[in-house]
Amino acid sequence: MVKLKFLAGVLLAAAAALAPVAVYADDAAATAAPAEIAPKTPLPDLPRNKQLILGWSIASPIGVTNPWAVPGYTHQEGNNLMFEPLQYYAIFASKYIPWLAQSCEYTSKDFTSLEIKLNPKAKWSDGTPVTADDVVYTFEGQMKNDKLPYHADFVQYVDTVTAKDKETVEVKFKIPAPRFKFEVLTLKFDTGIPIVQKAWEEKQKDVNAAAGGVDIPHSGPYDLVAWNANQKIYNLREDWWAIKAGLRKDPAVKRVVIVNLGGQVGQNMDTVAQRLVNNEMDSSLDMRAQVIGNILAQNPKITSWTGNKSPFGYRDWWPNSLWMNTTIAPYNDVRVRKAMSLSINRDQINDVLYDGAKVATIYPFPLYPALQKFADSPAVKAEEAKYNPGEFDLDKSAKLMTDAGFTKNGDGLWEKDGKTVNATINGFEGIHSDIAPVLVEMLRNGGFDAAVNFGTDAQQNMNDGVPGLYMFGHGASLLDPDAALELFDGKYSTPNGSAAGAGRWSRYKNPEYDKLLDEMAPLGADDPKFQADAAAALGIYWRDVIDIPIIQWLHRIPYNNTYWTNWPSDTNVADGENGAFWAHTGMIEITSLKPSGAK
Amino acid sequence: MATFRLVVRRLLFLIFVIWAASTITFFIPRLSSRSAIRERFAQLARTGGFAPADLEKIIANMQHQFGLDQPLMQQYGEYLWNVVHLDFGYSLNKYPSTVLDLISQALPWSIGLIFVTTILSFIIGNLLGAIAAWPKAPRWMRTVATPFVLLTGVPPVLMGVLLLFFIGFKLKLLPLGGAYSIGIVPNWSWEFALDMGMHQILPALALILGSVGGWVLSMRGMGVTIQGEDYVNFAEHKGLGGLTIFRDYYLRNALLPQVTGFALALGTLVTSAIVVEGIFGLPGIGTVLQLAIQSNDFPVIYGIVLFITITVATLMVALEFVYPLLDPRIRKN
Repeated sequence: MVKLKFLAGVLLAAAAALAPVAVYADDAAATAAPAEIAPKTPLPDLPRNKQLILGWSIASPIGVTNPWAVPGYTHQEGNNLMFEPLQYYAIFASKYIPWLAQSCEYTSKDFTSLEIKLNPKAKWSDGTPVTADDVVYTFEGQMKNDKLPYHADFVQYVDTVTAKDKETVEVKFKIPAPRFKFEVLTLKFDTGIPIVQKAWEEKQKDVNAAAGGVDIPHSGPYDLVAWNANQKIYNLREDWWAIKAGLRKDPAVKRVVIVNLGGQVGQNMDTVAQRLVNNEMDSSLDMRAQVIGNILAQNPKITSWTGNKSPFGYRDWWPNSLWMNTTIAPYNDVRVRKAMSLSINRDQINDVLYDGAKVATIYPFPLYPALQKFADSPAVKAEEAKYNPGEFDLDKSAKLMTDAGFTKNGDGLWEKDGKTVNATINGFEGIHSDIAPVLVEMLRNGGFDAAVNFGTDAQQNMNDGVPGLYMFGHGASLLDPDAALELFDGKYSTPNGSAAGAGRWSRYKNPEYDKLLDEMAPLGADDPKFQADAAAALGIYWRDVIDIPIIQWLHRIPYNNTYWTNWPSDTNVADGENGAFWAHTGMIEITSLKPSGAK
Repeated sequence: MATFRLVVRRLLFLIFVIWAASTITFFIPRLSSRSAIRERFAQLARTGGFAPADLEKIIANMQHQFGLDQPLMQQYGEYLWNVVHLDFGYSLNKYPSTVLDLISQALPWSIGLIFVTTILSFIIGNLLGAIAAWPKAPRWMRTVATPFVLLTGVPPVLMGVLLLFFIGFKLKLLPLGGAYSIGIVPNWSWEFALDMGMHQILPALALILGSVGGWVLSMRGMGVTIQGEDYVNFAEHKGLGGLTIFRDYYLRNALLPQVTGFALALGTLVTSAIVVEGIFGLPGIGTVLQLAIQSNDFPVIYGIVLFITITVATLMVALEFVYPLLDPRIRKN
C-alpha cells in the first residue's frame, strides 16, 4: 500500500510539474528571440498626458526589432518608431520629406544613376554617425540576401552601390529605374526600406534570424523598453538626432504604449470600441463604418479623419476589387467577368455603406492627387467612355451571359452544363464584413451563385486559384499607375496548380498588355509616352475585366482628443502623411501630437 | 508485483496515447495545402503591403530552412524524435520565436485563469450540488444552486459579452480587457497582484457562471442516489453528526465519478480558452492556438495540442492511482 501511495504521489507531482517543466525544457535549437523584454530598471512613472496609448493586435514575435528578421519583422507594431529611411513621402502634401538623406536625386536623365547625400547630423542610438557605409551595407544586403523583401528589385535594377565619401552614396542602375527612388528608397504607407546599421548587422551569424531586441542600434526617436504578450512600451530618446538637426521639435509624447488587443479584433471589435469610448486608448486600428459611427456618437472627444462626418476615413492606397482566376472556366470568358461587373451597383454601395460619399471605384489605384490627375486626363476619359467600367445594367449583364451559353435555372441563377457560376466571395471578416454581404446580394440579383467565405481557407483559396471571387486590395500605386498596372504583367501569371503571389490572383497574361508595360518601365511618369501607354493599359484592364474594381479603401481610424490633439485630418493635413500610426510615416504623426492639457 | 504490473501497464498506455496524439496532430494539418509561411507573407501583404516580386523564391528558401521540403515520413521521424525531447522547433509564423517561447509566454495566463476557474467551478458546483441533494440541509441553502442551474449552458462567449457590456462598459466597475492595466510593467508587488486580479474577475465569471450548474446537476444526481444506501442509514443510526455523515459518507462517495469528470473537463479547456481569451484580450494558450490554426502554423499547433494531451493524459493516469486513496473498496480489489 505504501508503494501505491508513493507511486500515486510521484505521478501526481509529475503531472502538476509537467506543464512548467516542459516549457523550460532544454531547447536544442535555442532561439534568438527572447520570451519577454523587461526593463532593466523600473520605468519612471509618467502622467497619462505624456503617454500615448494605442491599440493593436500584435502579431510579430516578441523581441523582433531587426528589419532584416524575416518573416517576423514588421514596421507596423512600433518598429516604425525605431528605424528611419533616407526620406519619407507625404501623400496628402505630395512632397518628399528628406530624413537621413538631405538629398536623393537621379543624376542622369535616363534614370540610370542616383546620388544620395546623407544628413551629417544623423546618428544611431549608440551615438555613432549614420554613414554612407551603412547605406551601402543596407543596399548590398538587399542585393545578396534573397530572403529580404526588396531583393528582387535590387537584383533587377541595381548594378553598383558606392560610398563616394562618408556622407555620399552613388547608385548605378543596370537599366533605367525611374521609380526606384520612390518605390524602394522612400518610406510611405507600408513600403520602402529603412536603413540599418552595418556594425551591428554584420556581427550577426544569421541576419534573418537575429531578433534585435533592445540592443539593436536605431536612428528613430523611441527606444523599446518593454515587450511582453500584453504590450510594447517605447520611451522617447532625448538625444534623438532629428531634434538637434532641426527636423523635429522635442516630441510631447514621452512614452508610447502599444496594447496587444489579441483576440479582441475582428468579431470582438465591439470591446475595442468600448475601451476607446472609456478613454483607455488614444487610437487603435481602423474600424468598419458602423463601429466608428457608434464610437463618435458615444464620446464627443473622439474624431476621425473627416471629423464626425461620414465616411470617417481617409483614402488608403489599397483599393479593393473582386479578383478571380481568369484562366479557369467560367471566369476565362470575358463576357462572364463583364456580366458580373455589370451587376454591381456602385451608386448603391455609396448610399448604403458610405452615406453617399463617393467611395466605390473603377480604378485599381487610389485617387491621390497625381493619380487623380492621370484619371482625369483625356486619354483615360476616352478609355472610360469606351468600356464604361462602372456601368450597372442587369439587362446587359443578362445578355452577355446568354451569349456565353448560360440559362437561368429555377433559382434564378445562371447555369451551364448543370453548373452555376460560383461567385463565393473569399474575404476577411475583420475588414470585409460590411461590404461583402452587400456584394453578395447584388451578384445574386444578377444571377450569380454568390456567398461569403470568411473562413481560414480564404487566403489559400486565392493563392490556389480555386473557383470563386477574391476580395482583396491593390497595394501598389501612389504616384503613378505603373505599380498597379504591373500587378497584371504576364510574367507574374503562374500556371494553375501552383500558388499565385499576392496581388497576382488574376493570372492574367496578354502580350499586348505586357508590351505597353515594357514601354512604360524606363520612362518617368510625366513623360507623354508613359501617360499614353498607361491610359491604353488601363483601357485593356477595363476591356478585359482583369478584376472588378469595387471600392477605394478607407482607413477609419478613431482619434481620441481627451489627452492628445493635433491628429491628422482632412482639415489638418499637417506634414501631409497618412493618418495611420502603424504606417512607416506613423513616427511623423506621433511626434507631431500635442497635449490637450487634460491630466 | 500486481501493483507494479498495473503501473507499467498504465504508463505504457500513457505512452501510446501520447504517440497517437502526436501522430494525429502531425498529419491533420498536413492534409491542408495551406502554407504558414505563405500565409504570413499574405498577412503582411494584407496589412502592410509587403509583396516582394519574388515571393515564391523567398517562400521556397524558408520551406527549405524549416525542412518542409523533405519527404513527409522523414519529417515525421524527425518530429517524433523532437517530441521525445520536448523540442517543437520554430514557429513558422512567428520566426525566430520557438514554439516553447510562445507556450511559455502564454501559459501563465491560461493557467492563472482557466485552471483556477475550472477548479473553482468544480468545488462550488459539487458543494452546492451535494447540499441541494442533502435532505437535512436548510431549505434556503438548497435553493442557492438554482441560479447556477438556470445559467447552465449559457456559452462563455455570450456570458463574456454581457459581463463586459454591463459591468465593464456601463457600470465601469471592472476593466474591459487585458491581463493588467495598460502601461504597467509586471512586478512582484501587492499592487500589481491586485490589479491583475481585478482584470481576471470578468473572464473568470464568464467561465464559472456557465459551468457551475453542470457540476451541481451531476452532483445532485449522485447525492440523491446515495441517500438510500445502507452505509448512510447505518451512519445515521450510529448517531454520527450531520456534518460527519455529509463529509465522510455522503460527499466522499458521491465525489468519485465527479473526479473523473474533472479530469475530462480539463480536455475541454482549449475551447473555453480560445473563446474567453479572445473576448477579454488575454494572451493565453487559447489565443496562441487560435492564431496558429488561422495561419496553419503547425509546429505551434503540434506543440500546444501535444502539451495539453500530455497534461490531460498524465492527469488521467495519475487519477487512476488516486482512486484507491479516495475509495478503500478499490484499494481492496
